[in-house]
Amino acid sequence: MVQETEAQQQTEASASADDRMIVAEDVKKWFGHFQALKGVSMTVNRRETVVVVGPSGSGKSTFIRTINRLERHDGGRIIVDGTELTDDIRNIAQVRSEIGMVFQSFNLFPHLTVLQNITLAPRNVRHWPKKRAEEKAVQLLERVGIPEQANKFPGQLSGGQQQRVAIARALAMEPKIMLFDEPTSALDPEMIKEVLDVMEELAESGMTMIVVTHEIGFARHVADRVCLFDEGVLVEKASPDTFFDNPQHDRTKRFLSQIL
Amino acid sequence: MAKDLRGRRRFGLEDDLGIPTLDDAPAVEAAPVSEPTTPGEWIHQNLFSSWINSLLTIVAGAFALFLLYSIINFTFFSADWTVVQTFMKAYMAGPFPIEEVWRIWVCAYIVSILAGLSLGISRWRPRIDRRSAVAAAIWAGPALLIILYVIRTALVLTLTAGILLAVAGGAVIGRAMGSRLRKPLFVAWFLLFPVMLLIVRGFDGVPPRFWGGLFFNLIAATIGIVVSFPFGILLALGRRSDLPAVRLVCVVIIEVFRGVPLIAWLIFSRFVVPLLLPQVDTPIIIRAFIAMTLFSSAYVAEIVRGGLQSVHSGQLEAGRALGLSPVRLTVLVVMPQALRSTIPPMIGHFISLFKDTSLFSVLAITELLAAARRSSSSLEFLGHDAETLLFAGLVFWIIAFSMSRWSQRLELRLGVGER
Repeated sequence: MVQETEAQQQTEASASADDRMIVAEDVKKWFGHFQALKGVSMTVNRRETVVVVGPSGSGKSTFIRTINRLERHDGGRIIVDGTELTDDIRNIAQVRSEIGMVFQSFNLFPHLTVLQNITLAPRNVRHWPKKRAEEKAVQLLERVGIPEQANKFPGQLSGGQQQRVAIARALAMEPKIMLFDEPTSALDPEMIKEVLDVMEELAESGMTMIVVTHEIGFARHVADRVCLFDEGVLVEKASPDTFFDNPQHDRTKRFLSQIL
Repeated sequence: MAKDLRGRRRFGLEDDLGIPTLDDAPAVEAAPVSEPTTPGEWIHQNLFSSWINSLLTIVAGAFALFLLYSIINFTFFSADWTVVQTFMKAYMAGPFPIEEVWRIWVCAYIVSILAGLSLGISRWRPRIDRRSAVAAAIWAGPALLIILYVIRTALVLTLTAGILLAVAGGAVIGRAMGSRLRKPLFVAWFLLFPVMLLIVRGFDGVPPRFWGGLFFNLIAATIGIVVSFPFGILLALGRRSDLPAVRLVCVVIIEVFRGVPLIAWLIFSRFVVPLLLPQVDTPIIIRAFIAMTLFSSAYVAEIVRGGLQSVHSGQLEAGRALGLSPVRLTVLVVMPQALRSTIPPMIGHFISLFKDTSLFSVLAITELLAAARRSSSSLEFLGHDAETLLFAGLVFWIIAFSMSRWSQRLELRLGVGER
């Protein structure tokens, strides 16, 4: 136990300033009078996969949505790869182009084919020529295992296939960070695995990831660290083994007893 | 290691999750075939299934026969269509000088050829089977008879037949050329309106005060649709703007122009604008077009607003998360979806705008309806209102119905990939 803590301290100490991909300091967020985030601080290092769990309404989705400015944070600081998120539109555009996001409800563009969904942002934000964007899209569709669906519309695909297209669409911008907001919650049970497989492969390839999910198996298996959010507070942050087998906080124990 | 149906490696969870494996694929069974019904059975099932249905069938059938008899009787025996034949030029072109009417024919031919080409390169193909042939004969036969009966000038008949030939010829060429024509055709449609104006007005042409008849209705409706569509979209976007001043201006324009009848705006543009703004020295017709366009824009804006609301907020978030700028997000993601869902109400609005061009008669413009009413108040044909109004109504209906059918095709074509 003591050894493990030392080892952890060592890794955190050895992480130089350059290695910190996302730094959130004392982030606060209100919706009207309701305080959704009550001062959350978190650092995510390069190539790290952080899984965020917690009951609904705990602020976990709100937190990852502040990282790419889908929600504006009302207090604290968020620095993504050295760029601080302020009201400056250029900073927001810069940060968004480095972060890919995958949503619970896929949010594919229903009027565009799979290929057009994936090439839209590279062509219009990165200004790649059509050929280059399409080559990249085909590569990515192969990577997520559905190259044969390129010319279909999202409505013609299963939920699991749609979510894999959504992952490919986010990856097409060659992001340094991927955010997943409950990516499997809207899926039928038999489709969850095909999406988790893609995410696992992505984590193994060294992508920096924050994943909000209820998939405990995935958290145990893939996460470098697991965080528990409750009532807008980051309650516990630990390695998966410690988090699931030897949690430090009563709140974590209660949460785990409810879901396991 | 075990594999699932797609040959991917198994995780050990499949049995718990119920993922099908190769072992348990069920046998395929054909769906039962339904027996075709004989005409006798069909009549029994659909017309005489109960005593109340039988009664309704008999009463409605008798009424339909009576109506058919009355129409045939009126059309071929009691009606005197000489008035329509005499005033055909007035119906189609109003006070347009007869020696300049060739300009309108040239425009009509250009439109016909373009329409034919577009039809040719589109994926639409006429389905020819027994049922559609019978339906077409029932519907087109009498229509053709009526047209032939009504138009008896050889020159007009030849030119009208020429228009049908132009459409057909365009369709054949378009089909042969295929999608290579797509871009040039798009440009041609875009340039059509200025070119037509040049043909009508240019080269010592005819000024707007001589425009009239159906030609005027079509010009006014085209201007109204072509200008109010983009302007209405801008108004709808402005209404959702983050800037309070922009929002206010747009809301005021929309509500003011929507709240007053079009006929009032037309009269206003003629009589009140010169009093309010004596410095403005534009022809009546231009002021009236502006009034109609603003009126139509207000409606388009509200239709588009409905479409914008139907776009899920997740679409905006996905676009933002990808780094799309607000303008690109609107043009590439939001608008295509918003406009698709507004096709039925939008075409509905444009159809009523086309019909409302008959209100220009209050500005002393002899558009189609005014020409019809004027013709039956001439001394020679006094009291022939039924013939003239029926003819004008038929012309309005044919065009409005074509627009409605076109909108259905558009919906089908753009509906691809929708859930």
